[in-house]
Amino acid sequence: MADSFCPDCKRPTEVVFDHSAGDTVCSECGLVLEAHSIDETSEWRTFANESGDNDPVRVGGPSNPLLADGGLSTVISKPNGSSGDFLTSSLGRWQNRGANPDRSLIQAFKTIATMSDRLGLVATIKDRANEIYKKVEDQKPLRGRNQDAILAACLYIACRQEDKPRTVKEICSVANGATKKEIGRAKEYIVKQLEVEMGQSMEMGTIHAGDFLRRFCSHLGMSNQTVKAAQEAVQKSEELDIRRSPISIAAAVIYIITQLSDDKKLLKDISLATGVAEGTIRNSYKDLHPHASKLVPSWYAKKEDLKNLCSP
Amino acid sequence: MADTGSSESNQVSDPSGRPTPMLQNVVSTVNLNCTLDLKAIALHARNAEYNPRRFAAVVMRIKEPKTTALIFSSGKIVCTGAKTVQQSQLAARKYARIVEKLGFHVNFRDFKIQNLVASCNVLVPISLTRLACHHYEHATYEPELFPGLIYRMRRPKITMLIFPSGKLVITGAKERVEIDTAFENIYPVLMSFRINKKDK
Repeated sequence: MADSFCPDCKRPTEVVFDHSAGDTVCSECGLVLEAHSIDETSEWRTFANESGDNDPVRVGGPSNPLLADGGLSTVISKPNGSSGDFLTSSLGRWQNRGANPDRSLIQAFKTIATMSDRLGLVATIKDRANEIYKKVEDQKPLRGRNQDAILAACLYIACRQEDKPRTVKEICSVANGATKKEIGRAKEYIVKQLEVEMGQSMEMGTIHAGDFLRRFCSHLGMSNQTVKAAQEAVQKSEELDIRRSPISIAAAVIYIITQLSDDKKLLKDISLATGVAEGTIRNSYKDLHPHASKLVPSWYAKKEDLKNLCSP
Repeated sequence: MADTGSSESNQVSDPSGRPTPMLQNVVSTVNLNCTLDLKAIALHARNAEYNPRRFAAVVMRIKEPKTTALIFSSGKIVCTGAKTVQQSQLAARKYARIVEKLGFHVNFRDFKIQNLVASCNVLVPISLTRLACHHYEHATYEPELFPGLIYRMRRPKITMLIFPSGKLVITGAKERVEIDTAFENIYPVLMSFRINKKDK
């Protein structure tokens, strides 16, 4: 029941909507104002106990704003049975032969997805990496470089921007064939490009040992006590004048803390978990050892236990 | 210790006690204004190497001043390795003389200093993380990739590598004045981010 203007009665009259035929009918003179109106209510009924595998409400995959056509996956298929006329069978062929402008982009996104899957990264990081790649995609100076290195660098930058940094060595391990040097160079270039495009809003803070500590500790299977002690030690190490990469410092701190606990980790294991070479951990240990009393929290180990720490 | 003593005596300080950057490398170019036959030069000159498949220039070295030159077939020469601007010009003239003696009609045209590299030591350790944090618009610090902080100053347009020991490399200058200005600008900044040794 609605009020609408009827052309026959020439005044607003009460209008009835007939759902069975989709007609809008004037109640005074019976004139059909609109026929075949489209019903926009739900087409299917979904029940709570039905399987969620095919939800008939939605068609196709999630729309991807980064792709040119939004990721539409409609294809023209060949008709069943006999080939029919020439047109229907050729349409399918023609659609697939045409160059898809996004083909390389889709391939790149797939590679980024594989890499982030191997590292166990959340979807936000993967999406950010995709966005970054789209921004720097297909620029002339990048053409010469290793494609894997560029994708790895996009992933590295995405991790840094989300405040969940991954060491370049970790990214290296999932990027097939890209060396640390290539990824580093690609990363510098991409950061410069992004600054040019986005106008100076790229502020990726420097990495700190503490960012990686939690992850290294869980790779080694350290107990909660040791993890907490290691975190406190790393916090204190920031104030010292130690000229080493934060990753090496984290590895050396883990070594010190585990040597003081009951569950001593071998240099080999720490080297595997952190990606730092054994020799480097030994050298960083030499640098940290004089400050051990300042680093190790007092509730974790007493002064006498510190004397047991082997001198480098 | 002997180390710190020698490093201090190697540096030149101005009257205010502030260290002065010392030139380590001068790169210059000169145009001989004459097409050269690189094969002939490589065959007849001493201390010359020429691998046309690897690089399209003759690499020649002289002992005094100790420099290396890239000589191109267009007649242009790049002279590197000199310690002062005067040495660089002297070396470039010597290379031109060598080429002349081999029978080419050379002119010594458009001698230009392209790059000056200087090093310096502020003698105090610097906290690169804090410096990178406060000067994020100019500084790039990636300890995983390179142990030094890369500071790109805009006026004058100079790039500096700052290391945690307090040693500095200043490069990208075309004139000595630019190096001195850049150092004047960066010295107070570095001093404000130094690490004070706490004796506990």
